[in-house]
Amino acid sequence: MASTPQASQVLPSTTKPAELEYGGDEISALVLDPGTNTTRCGFAGEDTPKTCVPTYYGIVPDPDVPKYFGSLKIGENAVNTVIDGMEIRNPMHEGIVENWEVATEIWRHCIEYKLSSRVEEHPLLVTEPIWNPLKNRERTTEVVFEDFNVPAYFLVKSAVCESFANSKPSSLVIDVGHTFTSVTPVVDGIPLRKGSERTPLAGQHLTTQLRHQFGELGIRMAPWLMIKAKATYTDLTNPSPLRSRDYGFQPHKSFVEYQQDRFIHEYKESISETWPEPRSFPPDLNNIPEGFRGLQDKSYEFPDGYQRRFGLDRCLAAESLFNPSVSPKPFTGDTPKGIAEMIKDSVDHLDADIRANMLNNIVVVGATSLLYRFNERLSQELTAMFPGPRVKIQSSGQIPERKYSAWLGGSILASCGAFHQLWISKQEYDEVGANIIERRAK
Amino acid sequence: MPPFRDDHILLIAPGSTWTLAQLGLPESFTPAKFRIPSRMFPGIEEGQYLPNKVHELKEGQELVLGNGDIVTAGPGGKPHKKRKVGESTSKPSTTTQTTANGSGATSTSADGTDKKPAGSAKSSDVKDDTAMADAADETEHHDDDGEEEGRDEDDDHEMNGTKDKDEDGADGKLYYDDDFDEEGAVWCLEQGRIVNWECFFALLLHVHEQINPTFHTPILMISQPCWTCTDKERICQFIFEKIKVPGFCMMDAAAAISAAYGIPNSLIIDIGYEKTDITAIVEYDIQELGRTTIPVGGNSMNKHLQKLLPQLSEDEIEQLKHSSICEILPAGIPIPGEEDVERDDLLLPPEISTVGMGGILPPKVLEEDEGDGQEEEGVTNIAAIVASGKTQEYLAKKEKEKADKKAGLAAGEKKLPNYKREQNSFFYIEKVHDQAIGGGKGDTAEDHDIEQMDVDPVPAPNEESAGGAAPTATDANAPAAQLDTNLDPPATSSTDAEPAKPGPSLLDSIFSGTKDDGDAKRAQEKALRREEKKRQEAAQSGEKRKEIEVGTERFKAAGGGILEAIADAAHRVVSSVDDLSKRSDCWDSLIIAGNACRLKGFKDALINTMVAKYQVSPSSGTIFTSELPSNIPTPSGTGTNTPQPTTFNSQQPNALLLQAAANNAAAAASHHHMSSTHYAQTPTGMKLAKVPEYFPEWKDAGFEECVFLGAQLGAKIYFVADQGQSKGFVTRADYNSQGPQAIHNI
Repeated sequence: MASTPQASQVLPSTTKPAELEYGGDEISALVLDPGTNTTRCGFAGEDTPKTCVPTYYGIVPDPDVPKYFGSLKIGENAVNTVIDGMEIRNPMHEGIVENWEVATEIWRHCIEYKLSSRVEEHPLLVTEPIWNPLKNRERTTEVVFEDFNVPAYFLVKSAVCESFANSKPSSLVIDVGHTFTSVTPVVDGIPLRKGSERTPLAGQHLTTQLRHQFGELGIRMAPWLMIKAKATYTDLTNPSPLRSRDYGFQPHKSFVEYQQDRFIHEYKESISETWPEPRSFPPDLNNIPEGFRGLQDKSYEFPDGYQRRFGLDRCLAAESLFNPSVSPKPFTGDTPKGIAEMIKDSVDHLDADIRANMLNNIVVVGATSLLYRFNERLSQELTAMFPGPRVKIQSSGQIPERKYSAWLGGSILASCGAFHQLWISKQEYDEVGANIIERRAK
Repeated sequence: MPPFRDDHILLIAPGSTWTLAQLGLPESFTPAKFRIPSRMFPGIEEGQYLPNKVHELKEGQELVLGNGDIVTAGPGGKPHKKRKVGESTSKPSTTTQTTANGSGATSTSADGTDKKPAGSAKSSDVKDDTAMADAADETEHHDDDGEEEGRDEDDDHEMNGTKDKDEDGADGKLYYDDDFDEEGAVWCLEQGRIVNWECFFALLLHVHEQINPTFHTPILMISQPCWTCTDKERICQFIFEKIKVPGFCMMDAAAAISAAYGIPNSLIIDIGYEKTDITAIVEYDIQELGRTTIPVGGNSMNKHLQKLLPQLSEDEIEQLKHSSICEILPAGIPIPGEEDVERDDLLLPPEISTVGMGGILPPKVLEEDEGDGQEEEGVTNIAAIVASGKTQEYLAKKEKEKADKKAGLAAGEKKLPNYKREQNSFFYIEKVHDQAIGGGKGDTAEDHDIEQMDVDPVPAPNEESAGGAAPTATDANAPAAQLDTNLDPPATSSTDAEPAKPGPSLLDSIFSGTKDDGDAKRAQEKALRREEKKRQEAAQSGEKRKEIEVGTERFKAAGGGILEAIADAAHRVVSSVDDLSKRSDCWDSLIIAGNACRLKGFKDALINTMVAKYQVSPSSGTIFTSELPSNIPTPSGTGTNTPQPTTFNSQQPNALLLQAAANNAAAAASHHHMSSTHYAQTPTGMKLAKVPEYFPEWKDAGFEECVFLGAQLGAKIYFVADQGQSKGFVTRADYNSQGPQAIHNI
């Protein structure tokens, strides 16, 4: 906020401060970006969200609680606490909200935890994936106006936000997220349904593949919370005894898996790597061609203390994003297309006159795109696919900008002056009902 | 525009139990001058809060105060009588006690010295504040008394814990301020969150009135991490509109701690009363997204101890926790009398604990640790010494060493070290005055001293003869411990009152009889004298002391998953730091702050827990022989794949790990135009950050409250050095133009 020259003045000590109270009433808007892995929220105009809570929640069965037949455990600390019988669930399914009661609670927690105890005072901008059906959009509107009682609200496609976050009104947005990798063409701030594609080859897929890969190797995947201390060993056939913590009960399987995800996530961050060249990755790691240029080994220590050096196999899971046929864990049903092929499909669907523009403005966002050398691989794949037009990938080097891209775009949108006429007010909702969203925000 | 002056800056750091405050920045930064309990009492009127409990008495009614005094409202509303419970023979004291303090009511005061002449206490009373801290209307309804003088002495009153009579109403009712009664107190913060706004504002006003700064005094407030933006706006609004300050700023607690240490990257673990805030700081920047607050703190330890020792009262538990016998044993030292199933130190690099000990503990404790170490050494060698026939020489040497030390320590060393005893006792001091106000630190130090000396000493000859008879030192413990309990009748039950230590003279005679070491004797006598003096002082100030013996439970204060919970949350916080390269920097400078970590051995235990679970162990030569992946990397041109012995540090890190990191950085530089670099798994090491040494005042106080040091540094920079050039604080003009949200724009 621009300060007047007088603003920096300090009143002299002899003067009693004026009784003048402030007149301005600029309440900043909140931006909520609900994802499957985490839900992000913060004030519009800031460059990172203030809160980022897991969308996963715990439920402790309790027949006395009528609503969910159990008590909800929401928030970072709650889902990481060992509680007898606590099951970890997720209210999202395929990137959209399935369990509205719980999702509402999580959103509320996300807002009230650190941001504002008075959610009803702030306009709220919510992001949605492009495949969000009308039913869900209306439900979001209801929740926001009925449960949160916000003064104004708007729903924006996350691809649009991501495009804006990279300061492009028109771009081909590739969002490599948790459940889905999606491609969305955005032209002048309007997302095109035609040409938008998605595939489950994303973060969760990686986690599943890695879990399977570790399982095949025979690694005990005891998460941190289940053990007392590490006991280092490198020989899987002769492991040192597991120093597990005894809680007096066996934690729920979903909880153990959720905790395993924590170190798998760490593995993804520090060890996993994308093989940079298309189609040169050996299909069979046990039979590597002569003279094949290898990779530096990297050692990873599992929470129970098992140390292992990973070589080319640390590329395996990431390779399966582009080449799903090498996946350690076979797909149930059809094997999806790789990310590059999916993008090709998308571009092929586009009108010929915008194709060149799209290929020249490819924006890559999403936390999974932070995989080492991911963008390099993608760039090589696309250049090979589209030799004619110039393919140019833009991707922020700043990690938060990549992770919270959709939120950031929402923050930019909601804070810009022209956006104010777009807000749907409570009054309009009262007059029209939930269907207002379809009229005002296509 | 006159600039702000050093001595015109008010610092407030609200906490769940204590609110720290100070006016002015001294030449050398000091611990907070004011420690005010973060509680208020509901006043007579609805919505009004007072700093002290006020009793309303009708004529003829009797009131038992929290400190055991009885007040009767006489005719005309004048306080009629004050007397001690101890004196009142007509009333069984147990029935009249109103607070938990009185649970040990049977403890009879040994002599008459603790009875303050009621008249003098009363006459010394100056009209007290009753600082009508009414957030709503600020009315002060006691003007009619005309006893407004002494406002400046309020603080002293609070400090000394003298009692003050309040006004007497016109209707024959007596309003009586009771400084000692905690009943009905409203604690405005819970786990750092503000739960009662009216009360919190009343507290702020109370603090402000107590310190009574000039108009031109800006305020710097330490904000709790869990305060929401709305909370901050509300506080900002209150500060500007009620207190009418010229400038205000809020400093995050973690930022303040980080400023106190002056380290760019750190992981801050701030352990408070009921919560622990864990924050990663990267390049002086708070990692807002990952930071977390877990509901574990000093009180969790109390609760855990309470579970283990159900026979003790809450107060006794609290004092046990503060006493020197309550400690968390370093890894590798078994809890006496128990099989060492819980602890193993296979993985713990030894330097970790030494870093913790040397770096953080206040000098006194450090010395004591050395003493313990020596003792241990001595004990383990006893058999050998006895066998070699050099007993006399050894004894003389040992005594000499001891005599060099302070008398208190010498007396303390005549016994087995705490960690070898199954039972040990401490003196529960039943405070007749409010223990806490103003003297938190002094009191703990005093307790410490007392317990140092009062823990019943086992005569050294016994110990040594037992040691001589038994082959190993650990075997010697059992007889010694038994003997010790014989000497001192166990006083485990809380009703068992022991006015004083039973046999100093007996012990003394044993010592003097068996040893002709004059130094030791002198030291012993000195200690006894000091102790005697202390006891008298204690008696004069109205303390009742009671010896309570506890078993090995005293080593388990941090059990029950407290350490693990903190360690896991810390790991999560660091894992949420976006920049992988900064994570290990965070692990390398851990800052453990907060008063709960004063518990002896707590920091080491916490670090050990974290190391045991999360540190990537760098030791493993076997990695070369173990299953290598099928594709062994071809050596690169630089030959970096050849394993080389590295001398990184004594922990023998995995050379491969380091090389892998180095290789990757190199590879990234040569092969990639993308800016992302790739890092290896963290943490490979954890250590405590070094405590800054250039603040002498803080050395004695301990660095647990270093948040206040950071506040002073921050205030200096924001208000004095910068003078608002870079918008370090909200000015009145900013507030007028922007409103409470101005607090977010700084």
